[in-house]
Amino acid sequence: MTINVENVTKTYESGEVTIHALREATLKIPDHKIVTILGPSGSGKSTLLNVIGGIDRFDSGTLVVAGQQLEFLKDHQLTDFRRKYAGFIFQQYNLIPTLTVQENVEVGRELSENPLDMKSMLEKVGMYDKKDKFPYQLSGGEQQRVAIARALIKNPQFLLCDEPTGALDEVTGKKILRLLKYVNEEFGTTVLIITHNHGIGAMAHKIIKMSSGSIVESFDNESPVDPEKVTWA
Amino acid sequence: MILRKSILRTIKEKKFQYIGVVFLLVLAVTLYTSLSMAISTLDQRNRIFKNDYKQETFHFMTREPLKNSQLQELESEYDVTLEERRFQDLDIDQDAVLRLFNTSEEVNVPFVSQGVMPQGKNEIALAKVFAEQHGYEIGDSITLAGTKAEVTGYVYLPDYIYMIQQQSDLLSNPDQFGFGITSKETLVNIQGEEQIQVIGWSETNSVPEGMRASVNEKSTLLQFVGHEDNARIQFVENEIEGAQTTITTLPLFVLALSIAMVLLLMKRRLDLQRKEIGTLMAIGYRKNELIRHYLGYAWFVGLSGTVLGTLAGIGLSIPLSNLYAQFFNLPSLSLFDWDPMVLVLGVATPLGLLLVLTFIVIWRALKVDPLTLLRPKEMATGKKSWLEKLPVLNSGNFIKRFRLRLMVRSKWRSFYIFLGVMFSTVLLFFGLIMFNSMDRLVETTYEEIYTYDYAIHYKTLMTDTDETKDGISPYTSSEVEVTTENDTNKALIYGIEPGTEYLNLSSEGEKLNDRLSEGAVLSKPLAAILGVSEEDEITLTNSLNDEKRTIEVAGIADVFIGTSIYLPKSEVNEFLGFPGNAYTSIWQGQKPKMNENIFMIEDKQKVIESFESNSGATKSSVIGMAVFAVIIGVIVLTLLTNLIVEENSPSISLFKVMGYHDKEVSKLVLSVYTPVVMLSFFASIPLAVLSLEGTMNSLVKETGFLMPTEVSWWMVLIGFSVITLTYALSLTLSKQKLKKVSLQEALKKQQD
Ligand SMILES: Nc1ncnc2c1ncn2[C@@H]1O[C@H](COP(=O)(O)OP(=O)(O)O)[C@@H](O)[C@H]1O
Ligand SMILES: [Mg+2]
Repeated sequence: MTINVENVTKTYESGEVTIHALREATLKIPDHKIVTILGPSGSGKSTLLNVIGGIDRFDSGTLVVAGQQLEFLKDHQLTDFRRKYAGFIFQQYNLIPTLTVQENVEVGRELSENPLDMKSMLEKVGMYDKKDKFPYQLSGGEQQRVAIARALIKNPQFLLCDEPTGALDEVTGKKILRLLKYVNEEFGTTVLIITHNHGIGAMAHKIIKMSSGSIVESFDNESPVDPEKVTWA
Repeated sequence: MILRKSILRTIKEKKFQYIGVVFLLVLAVTLYTSLSMAISTLDQRNRIFKNDYKQETFHFMTREPLKNSQLQELESEYDVTLEERRFQDLDIDQDAVLRLFNTSEEVNVPFVSQGVMPQGKNEIALAKVFAEQHGYEIGDSITLAGTKAEVTGYVYLPDYIYMIQQQSDLLSNPDQFGFGITSKETLVNIQGEEQIQVIGWSETNSVPEGMRASVNEKSTLLQFVGHEDNARIQFVENEIEGAQTTITTLPLFVLALSIAMVLLLMKRRLDLQRKEIGTLMAIGYRKNELIRHYLGYAWFVGLSGTVLGTLAGIGLSIPLSNLYAQFFNLPSLSLFDWDPMVLVLGVATPLGLLLVLTFIVIWRALKVDPLTLLRPKEMATGKKSWLEKLPVLNSGNFIKRFRLRLMVRSKWRSFYIFLGVMFSTVLLFFGLIMFNSMDRLVETTYEEIYTYDYAIHYKTLMTDTDETKDGISPYTSSEVEVTTENDTNKALIYGIEPGTEYLNLSSEGEKLNDRLSEGAVLSKPLAAILGVSEEDEITLTNSLNDEKRTIEVAGIADVFIGTSIYLPKSEVNEFLGFPGNAYTSIWQGQKPKMNENIFMIEDKQKVIESFESNSGATKSSVIGMAVFAVIIGVIVLTLLTNLIVEENSPSISLFKVMGYHDKEVSKLVLSVYTPVVMLSFFASIPLAVLSLEGTMNSLVKETGFLMPTEVSWWMVLIGFSVITLTYALSLTLSKQKLKKVSLQEALKKQQD
């Protein structure tokens, strides 16, 4: 089991009120699967993902990812954990504007001791032709492809995607979803996708639903559909 | 790291900012390196010349020349090397005096830099600057009191490094005075008054105890000067020592401005790249890797600044050394005569400081966790600073609030502008005050207070009745020790006739001569050295017989030159054990004729002239300072206003979208700092005066003079215009940038 979340709780003190971003979340995520996390805005999806990816801490509970018990790790150990196992995809792509496509991917490559091949990675995300372009010369979908390549090139165990298609239109968004599915099949990478777009759930092996910090539903999808076939909300 | 590429691209994109800070750093390093190299060259040359060419430890003159046997006695008794040296002062080219020595062999050994040592009959070698000034080249002939002689070379003497005719002279002026050497035979044959001095060298470089008295027993001493009291030797050493402050203070200030700017830029960069930093942290970059990455900016600025600065500094040190060579007659005895440590310090200090401080800024920025960095800043720090909560900032119209916020939000920028303007203003006022005070110093001291034209010093104590003659005022002068609670210093005591028409002691127009009955009047430098003011007590000690006398300070006269004490002549004569009607010197208005009783004639007009010929150099260095001040001011202000435009480009763009004209927008955004500039300017004036006073006071012991440090209204006016123009210039430069802010900017930023 790659990811094992047990009774993980996280609260924010905001003045007088206490916000429960996560309430005793418990969850097992099997390896090599696509998992979507659904739920309304503010339900704790990002918090869950961030906690799993080791960029956020939690208050109580246990969290084991890739054999590491995250609550026991110091900051620098957490960094090394991310470096080795996690790949992040953000809604806003977050490419480095002063670096070209290839250079942006290089930023991810340098983190790994045995990275994947640069050329074939760029080809696989369909960005080889534009490898010398700067982010401002690319469309949103293209930027997200580069971001995926940056995350993938170090060959992580799982990809954490926080609303990866949130800023994209249907056609481009579906292409990104295809790419994620391809990655899952080709490299066996576990892919966690946050979305408030319920249709996307149809392509996942496992669907998790959240509401005000709690996991309200978690079930396996026996017949995931092709990304092209999801209904776009 | 691939990230390095991003640094170079960012720098290229923000050329102006980085060129600006690199330029500031180059200025700092150039200043430091060139000054230090010039001074260390001076130091090295001085040391080698002094040691290898046996610079005298002391010299003396006696009424009757000592015999050889007497000299030998002294040599063995005090373990010193003594050598008799003869000289004559000869008039050359109407207005100049050439002091011609015979070539000494054991002490003050001459060094010939070009040509050869004069050997044969009627051959002489001339001090290089003197020869240059008067157009004598090697092989030329020169007429000395009717005798024609050939110039065989250029010469340096270890006891005439600072080439002044009299010890009391302040300024060296090769136009008026120089020296030469020749053989004894040639010297004897030249018509004129020959004088004999004994020059002495001691291994320990100090005057053996009791020697002075011992010489005095053999023949009355007319003069005995130890090397520490010998301005011709000491002045260069004082300059070397005194220059250390300038060498470090000025460059350190510029360095501080440059580093502060780098830090501001760095902070700004880190702010802009919050999201990028957050992303890099999230995908697994370690903190030390990111620190190393962002330090790349500091490395770039630091290395290019120090390397360029060092090169420019080395280049500039050459003309600077040549300039020093005009003042100090020091031969270049070796090729490599400066301290390589200068270069190491010039590179290591700025680079080290820059890296350490930038490191701290980066380290602090990276302390934030990646999630916070990934969120937009406004959301991350929703708090307003306490300053922003002040009611003034929340009242009034929108424009006023906008401007006040801008100023408050960037308090470090305001502070930086304050410092930059302060630095420029202080520098400017240093220049203006000094420009003025050279004239004031001469005017007050030599025209208002010293109303004589000639001072004549006799070889012996005079008692005859010359003094009854009209137009002549006798006085007694001698060296004494002055003791205060703190320490003891040497000073010149003047016993004068209180009613004399030749010395008009006064302080800011108030006449002080009458106060001589109440106590002593001091010159300003002496009062500063002793740290005394009116009504304090000082104790005088007669160095010949150890007699002491305590007197009150009755006044401090506006005499800006020399460490002098004025008292009534009768009192001084009594104190020194002289007869009541005795005197050592006279002042008079008419040009005197030289006779065998006269030891030396001082022509006040020549002193004034040499001051004036030197004020040209002072004035050009003042202009240099002003230009420097303006350059620094323009860079600092432009960099800052540019940064403000860049940072506020979304608002600027929004203003434009709303229909404001460029002019209105620039007025709105750019002139925010006008009050800071004005405030800094006016606060800096007293600071300039105080720090200049402080500098003068700390150097007064070495220089023997003080500069009047008054600020007149015309200085404020000039200073104000210069600073305002500087500010206006940098605003104009930044306006260009403001014009380029596009209308889309406002929309683009909001998407992020
Ligand atoms: N840094 C924070 N400070 C305070 N509250 C936060 C912070 N981050 C998230 N929250 C709150 O925690 C809850 C869960 O947030 P999040 O995980 O981002 O939800 P989602 O991604 O599902 O929209 C929300 O109510 C949000 O307001
Ligand atoms: Mg979210």
